[in-house]
Amino acid sequence: MSEPVNIRLLQPGTRVVLEGGATAEIVSNPQDGVWVFARFLTSPDDPDRIGSEEMVFAQEIVEVGEAS
Amino acid sequence: MATTRKDGYRPGLVDISAGQVSREIFVNEEIYREELERLFARVWLFVGHESQIPKPGDYFVSGMGEESVILCRDRAGKVHVFLNSCRHRGMKVCRYDEGNTPVFTCPYHGWSYGTDGQLVGVPYFREAYHEKLDRSRWGLVEVPRTYLYKGTVWACWDSAAPPFLEYLGDFVRYLDLTLDGWDGSEGGTEILGGIQKWRIPCNWKFPAENFCGDSYHNISHRSVDLVGIGPSGTGRRDMRERQMARRLQVAFYERGHQTGVYLFPKDQATPPSYQHSPEVSEYFAHCEEERRKKRGEWGRLIGSPGEIFPNTALHPRQPRTIAVWHPRGAHQTEVWRWYVVDSAAPQEVKDFLRDYYIRYSGPGGMTEQDDMENWNYAHAASRGTIARRYPYSYEQGLGFETENYEWQGLRIPGTVMDITDAKSSEHNLRNLYRRWAEFMEAESWGELATWRLARAAE
Repeated sequence: MSEPVNIRLLQPGTRVVLEGGATAEIVSNPQDGVWVFARFLTSPDDPDRIGSEEMVFAQEIVEVGEAS
Repeated sequence: MATTRKDGYRPGLVDISAGQVSREIFVNEEIYREELERLFARVWLFVGHESQIPKPGDYFVSGMGEESVILCRDRAGKVHVFLNSCRHRGMKVCRYDEGNTPVFTCPYHGWSYGTDGQLVGVPYFREAYHEKLDRSRWGLVEVPRTYLYKGTVWACWDSAAPPFLEYLGDFVRYLDLTLDGWDGSEGGTEILGGIQKWRIPCNWKFPAENFCGDSYHNISHRSVDLVGIGPSGTGRRDMRERQMARRLQVAFYERGHQTGVYLFPKDQATPPSYQHSPEVSEYFAHCEEERRKKRGEWGRLIGSPGEIFPNTALHPRQPRTIAVWHPRGAHQTEVWRWYVVDSAAPQEVKDFLRDYYIRYSGPGGMTEQDDMENWNYAHAASRGTIARRYPYSYEQGLGFETENYEWQGLRIPGTVMDITDAKSSEHNLRNLYRRWAEFMEAESWGELATWRLARAAE
């Protein structure tokens, strides 16, 4: 199991990897430690999500990538 | 003494015709629980001021009875009041006093709500709920009735309650004495800085009745008067109006609201005030002139402490404040005090008033400390098995009230007690308990809005 990500540190533009392998880019961060707003870049399980902006739950974020 | 009979409040516990009120209504926990349902869930309550939430996403956590509520402005600028409790398991969704946020997120399981109250985030919505949860049904509980009046925000849980302005009736003119600019400009006030909050070990009705216009307790403030904390360096307030104005207590029997006022003689100028600062004194002298011009005969009136039923206290002049007596059990009250200033006042006037206000009011205010000492010990000394057998006396001035009071061409709305010569009366205090008893007995607003019944009969 990967280390938990402190999502309060995630700045807009940061790319993250989600459970299931999808990737997303942070759009905004309300700093509540529970949710971030992110745009889906890839989504192997559900291609319809690509390009959509959704609230992403902290526990779904498994890895932090580079800022775009 | 029987305490739970719903028809027993007026004959048994609150006897207005005899001027007696049982100590049970202050110390009995069954009565307290009934108050939360029959009173606080049905009346209009003050929850804050728009100047506390100027921008979209701004919020202020307030209270209604024992309930925590969130006063907030949504992204579209609309003001809402929500129960501060997650619909999933009840956790507070906001644990800060105030701030700005795009969402209120429950820290327990992570349900998240927009500032319009809609449920926008449900962890594992796809996986655990299989997208079956109807999020539109699980938004924050919104207080069904809200009303914005000259910057103040009021809320009511009861959809059957009359609209806010009807709830006030003609008393709105006395509320305006606190909310209008001192120069008579409509709603020209704002909240100064933050608010003060503190707890007192007494029932909420002790401070409520005190602010209805209990001038009999002035002896308690003798030491403050001797120190001279007032804005002109003497007493605790500028009090020269007492030598020249009629001193009145005004009660609204059908509504439960009441206040004190000073009524100046025709053509009598208001005496100078705030003389510890030439700038402040000049500002208020100018405002007085403007107020007389704008308000005409009504400008002869200066406010004194009052109460919007049941627990919003008005202190319209020196210091100018609004207080809410939040019930926290039968034996504890949490006081929240807002400090009001003219929006258009120069900064040096606001700074002067800030210093004076907190010298007088709040947990560190010298006058308020005197009051708290009284309420605290009065409550404690009324809780005993023997003590609660003996009612309090509210007989002062009983039978000397005047309807249609008029003096030198100005008619005063409400039922009036002129205490210029009598010095004191418990007229306004009796009104608080008269209305309190009506609420405790009435099953619905149909019985409480008696003015509607009278209108229908006509």
